[in-house]
Amino acid sequence: MATRILTVEDDERIRTAVKLALEDEGWAVEEAETGEEALNAFTRQAADVVLIDIMLPGVDGFEVCRAIRKSSDVPIVMVTARADTHDVVAGLEAGADDYLTKPFAPKELSARIRALLRRARSSDPASPHLRFGDLEIIPDEGVVRRAGQEIHLTKTEFKLLVELASSPGRVFSREVLLERVWGYGYFGDGRLVDVHVRRLRTKVENDPANPQHVVTVRGLGYKLQA
Amino acid sequence: MRRPRFLPRLGLRARITIAFAVGAFFLSALLAAGTWGFTRQNQLEQRSDAATGLTVANAAQIAQGITSDVPKPKDLVAGVPRPTGAHTILFYKGEWYPLDPSFGEDALPGKLKDVVERGDDARMRYSYRGHVYLAVGVKLDTSVEAAYFEIVSLDELEQTLETLAYSLIASALVTTLCGAGLGWWAARRVLRPLSGVSSAAKDLADGQLSTRVEASADPDLAPLATSFNEMASSLEQRIERDARFASNVSHELRSPLTTLSASITVLENHREDMPERARAALDLMVADVNRFRQLIEDLLEISRFDAGVMHLDLNDVRIAELVMQAVSVSSDADIPLDIDHKLAGVVVEADKRRLMRVIANLVDNAAKYGGGATRVELRQVDDQVQVAVEDDGPGIPEEDRDRIFDRFSRGLTAADRRTAGEGVGLGLSLVREHVRLHGGQVWVEDRPDGEEGARFVVLLPAVKPSDEGDGTNGDTP
Repeated sequence: MATRILTVEDDERIRTAVKLALEDEGWAVEEAETGEEALNAFTRQAADVVLIDIMLPGVDGFEVCRAIRKSSDVPIVMVTARADTHDVVAGLEAGADDYLTKPFAPKELSARIRALLRRARSSDPASPHLRFGDLEIIPDEGVVRRAGQEIHLTKTEFKLLVELASSPGRVFSREVLLERVWGYGYFGDGRLVDVHVRRLRTKVENDPANPQHVVTVRGLGYKLQA
Repeated sequence: MRRPRFLPRLGLRARITIAFAVGAFFLSALLAAGTWGFTRQNQLEQRSDAATGLTVANAAQIAQGITSDVPKPKDLVAGVPRPTGAHTILFYKGEWYPLDPSFGEDALPGKLKDVVERGDDARMRYSYRGHVYLAVGVKLDTSVEAAYFEIVSLDELEQTLETLAYSLIASALVTTLCGAGLGWWAARRVLRPLSGVSSAAKDLADGQLSTRVEASADPDLAPLATSFNEMASSLEQRIERDARFASNVSHELRSPLTTLSASITVLENHREDMPERARAALDLMVADVNRFRQLIEDLLEISRFDAGVMHLDLNDVRIAELVMQAVSVSSDADIPLDIDHKLAGVVVEADKRRLMRVIANLVDNAAKYGGGATRVELRQVDDQVQVAVEDDGPGIPEEDRDRIFDRFSRGLTAADRRTAGEGVGLGLSLVREHVRLHGGQVWVEDRPDGEEGARFVVLLPAVKPSDEGDGTNGDTP
């Protein structure tokens, strides 16, 4: 079955052009013009990747993102008008995995989608059981437990946690994490890492404001410890 | 009114201070002079009246002892009471009998003697042998011609008056100084709202558009604060409107560009199915859509500077790594890099994306107008890092070195510009704006090796060694 992509965009011409470009990549594209339409479409049939324009009439992109996040860990790409506004951080905090700035090149979009799909499907088999204090990570099952309680992570959060867990105590720079988790390398936006670390902390830390596991090393990056 | 050239123009505060000082001086001088004059008059009169009274009484006593033939007239004089320090002289039958021989007829002013001789009592203040005296003369009411004189020294009184004069002058001076001080203080009080307005205006000019002057309860000052604040809000509204306009333009232009760029990708995917002429047209479109996109990016970035809404996304960035990465994705990835190895762990606080644009723009600029960059250098200079991009083009003439960072100005002539084709001349002005926002400097100079070509130098502050410390739990690394 072809990979299904749901694009939410109120501008008909952009929607059509993006659909044409994505279909050229061999993906099935479903369109939605408004936030409500998108949520209906997603409830009807979940997509593999969702592409959401933040500026939507009515229910805006952030709300669509949050609503989808309540029930699904599907990879979400936000489309913003500008990279230096709060939109980016707000979108990531609403649950988006990645973002693009208009006008984006469709090749960039397909690259991002491919990276997200890889992340969604990758699970390193035969990875050992990892334990950090009250935190338990079972990579091949995609399960994380805190104090025995299973906690729900998105694919990106899970991948981020597993990367950090691959070398406990080692400091990962944002650039390294951008490359390993998002496939960006040096040119990615460090805010992706920062916001995802923040979101991860709200789930794995007892006190997210005073993290014990996912620790910031100033000037260098992040590390995971027991 | 014309002001003499050699006088510096005085400020309002200085003028108010001077006016207060001059006013205080005149007032205190008048008061001092009045006080002195009145006291002097008063004292002299008292003194004169006392002396006159005593003299008249003494004269009456002497007159009783006078007969037509007094054997020793001097004894008459010695018999009357006299104040200490007073000299007495008796005139008897054409002869002068001073009690103190050294203080005889000569010690009396002629005018006084004349008046007394005519039969009137008289008194006179005069100066004799460098001292001030008061002489009182009384014609004795006797059958023989006789007169009695008493001379008292006024030195003590003069001295008292002198002391008084000095202390009055001193207090006038002190009053003048106090007046000047009061003037200075009052001027400061009066001008304080102005200095508030001026610092608020400066903050506004620096881009803090929400700056307002504190509303004043003083009815004289309230209109100033009100009108300043009205000006500031209308300025702020205007700038916000411009910023909104820029952002609206941004959105309006981005949407069609997104469509264009997606459609062109679809066309490119099917390039092989097209006739050759259509392919040539497609290639032109692809190139110009990219150029258009870059132009709009640059214009919007510039308009963000103008609206003062630019926010740097500051992080600790390893400068050496950033320069290497920036060059590797620039239009000319093979430029020789000359990086000081001491800078390996050094980080600067910077917006990574924008700093990379700065370096990429300088490399692009060298490629377009300088025949390609020949060297990119990274050095530490004191507490700063210096990035330099050199080319072997014609160089930039001295007079153009500032202008070249202006918008839409290019280092080349119009003819060259036509052939150069690409770019709209925003690259270098963006470089300057970005570097300024990072608190740094950028300039262009000659190549230090003496070869022909330009050297663009970016100086960035706030170098700190990479913090190897562990365990701080900030929000971002």
